Amino acid sequence: MLYDENHIAMHCLESRDAWSTISKELALKMMQEMLLIRRLEMAGEAAYLNGDVGGFFHSYIGQEAVQTAIVNVFGKDHWYTTSYRCHALALLLGVSPDAILAELYGKATGNAKGRGGSMHLFHDNLLGGHGIVGGQFAVAAGAGFSAKYKKEDRLSICFFGDGALAQGTFHETLNIVSLWNLPCIYVLENNSFGMGTATKRAIANDQKFLEKQAESFAMPFFRLDGMDIANCYAGFTKVYELIKKEKKPVLIECLTSRFRGHSISDPGLYRSKEELASCKKRDPILLFKTKLIEKGHLTEDQYKEMERDAKEKIQKSMQFAAESPFPDPTELEQDVLIEEGV
Amino acid sequence: MQHIDMRQALCQALDEELTRDERVFILGEEVAEYNGPYKVTKGLLDKFGPSRVIDTPISESAFSGLAIGAAMTGLRPVVDFMSFNFSFVAADQIISNAAKLYYMSGSRFKVPIVFRGPNGAAAQVSCQHSNCVESIYSNVAGLIIIAPSNAYDAKGLLKSAIRDDNPILFLESELLYGEKMEIPTEEYLIPIGKANIIKKGKDCTLISYSRMMPFAYEAAQKLEEKGISVELIDLRTIKPLDIETIFESVKKTNFCVIAEEGPHFGSVGSEITFQIQERCFDYLDAPVGKVSQKETPLPYSKVLEEASLVNVERIIASVENTVSNPI
Repeated sequence: MLYDENHIAMHCLESRDAWSTISKELALKMMQEMLLIRRLEMAGEAAYLNGDVGGFFHSYIGQEAVQTAIVNVFGKDHWYTTSYRCHALALLLGVSPDAILAELYGKATGNAKGRGGSMHLFHDNLLGGHGIVGGQFAVAAGAGFSAKYKKEDRLSICFFGDGALAQGTFHETLNIVSLWNLPCIYVLENNSFGMGTATKRAIANDQKFLEKQAESFAMPFFRLDGMDIANCYAGFTKVYELIKKEKKPVLIECLTSRFRGHSISDPGLYRSKEELASCKKRDPILLFKTKLIEKGHLTEDQYKEMERDAKEKIQKSMQFAAESPFPDPTELEQDVLIEEGV
Repeated sequence: MQHIDMRQALCQALDEELTRDERVFILGEEVAEYNGPYKVTKGLLDKFGPSRVIDTPISESAFSGLAIGAAMTGLRPVVDFMSFNFSFVAADQIISNAAKLYYMSGSRFKVPIVFRGPNGAAAQVSCQHSNCVESIYSNVAGLIIIAPSNAYDAKGLLKSAIRDDNPILFLESELLYGEKMEIPTEEYLIPIGKANIIKKGKDCTLISYSRMMPFAYEAAQKLEEKGISVELIDLRTIKPLDIETIFESVKKTNFCVIAEEGPHFGSVGSEITFQIQERCFDYLDAPVGKVSQKETPLPYSKVLEEASLVNVERIIASVENTVSNPI
């Protein structure tokens, strides 16, 4: 990780220990969600290696705290948009593990009827799953625009990776959302690599890049410790209060780490074993677990039971996906266009 | 009836649809306070206000993507491209998002959006402002492409486009904006995907659309004087293509020529030619003729520009050549 712990401590939002706002019940719910995300990703990887899943597969392992925290703070009644690393967000927003895994298997019962695959998951409030780096920025702005146009009390939350920072759409979109004061929250999940290229090799002034951009677009900026769910929860709560009151766009950077390659076919040769090992020391699930045990909210046995539950649930979904029928090729050309368009 | 030009007809279509449906809004460069780069949106800001007729920064990728997101979440945007050449800056949004999101989302998110503006050559605007985009975008599944040739069609088709749930590229021509004709004062719609037989004929089918239609019409008149009876078809919609109307005509005339504004290689005419040979091979008495722009960037100098573009004489020559060489 490019940001060491001291750097995080210095730059992340204060109140790193935000336990006062997290009840035991909420904490256990979030732990369950994070464990389910991790199990889902592990199952997907296994299925991929088994040849049941094709194409690309981008794992969210290591980044679970970020989206788990934000969905729990903001709730599901907003628009969400993300990149191709989209399994966790779909799960958190209510897509069943059955539908996600069936989509990975390319089955008719999949979330997108087997048309989208791993990178393109959707839900009533999830606008994708976008495969072009930076392609989702403006779409998310459109959802914020809609909410404002219709005078709805909804926000648009958009996730992106550090690789997208150099894309033109990032700059163009921030200009418009700030200019038009759209209710949009842009969340950078900075895992310090855009595919195999370290952020410092792709982004000028990388450690302060987003902060400076926020300043130039006159947007409030927050930097959070993406490995520490309590810090994320506290930070997002602060953002939520601000945007509810002021209805202005916000830029957030979550410092995080992916424990896998960019995609499953990436052996990660550009990272040293030591660097990865030091990242894993701050595994968001382990940090969370330690804290919960320390606070007496969780015992080791209870944790094992939660892990087992998640494993069993995902195993059932794997079976569902494996047993589901493939899409009927005679339906291939359906819905390219809407027939009764008018 | 009213005697108005295509610019006014388009403006009426926008006005009527903005009035009819609150979800419809217009955004683009210079659409509001400037009254439209070509005055197509003249007066709409005053009537509907800045929340529905919206000036954007020069940021095609962002405002196109924003419109796509707005369409996915319940609105019906009309995006104004000052020129379709600028759509290339937003091509990723059009191709990767607008065209694919309904299908790719498992039919969850419709993208009811119209991208409209002038396409093709104007008068000496040179290489970067004169592209015909239809053959590029017609190669992308999930888009509807409309290209009207007159005020009547422009109004009826734009209204249908705004009411349609699909992403639509609505290609106009700067050089046709000032062309006047009688059109009804009362409301009407023209269905998407239906070609129009402008003139019946028996000797050769001549297919064209948009800016080339006036040329094709003049060519047809002159050919008539020379004793060649041309059946003239205006495609109006490029995709989905009304291929049945074309087949019917070709089966009757046994000869076919296509006149289009864009370059020769991989063009709309190429696709039509392929479909004709596939389905009407036995009816053809000669190879299909095609008149297109030469394979050059469209140069500035009047002499060079004219040499590259299609004209009446080239269409006449192609028809004459086609019908005089039966196999």
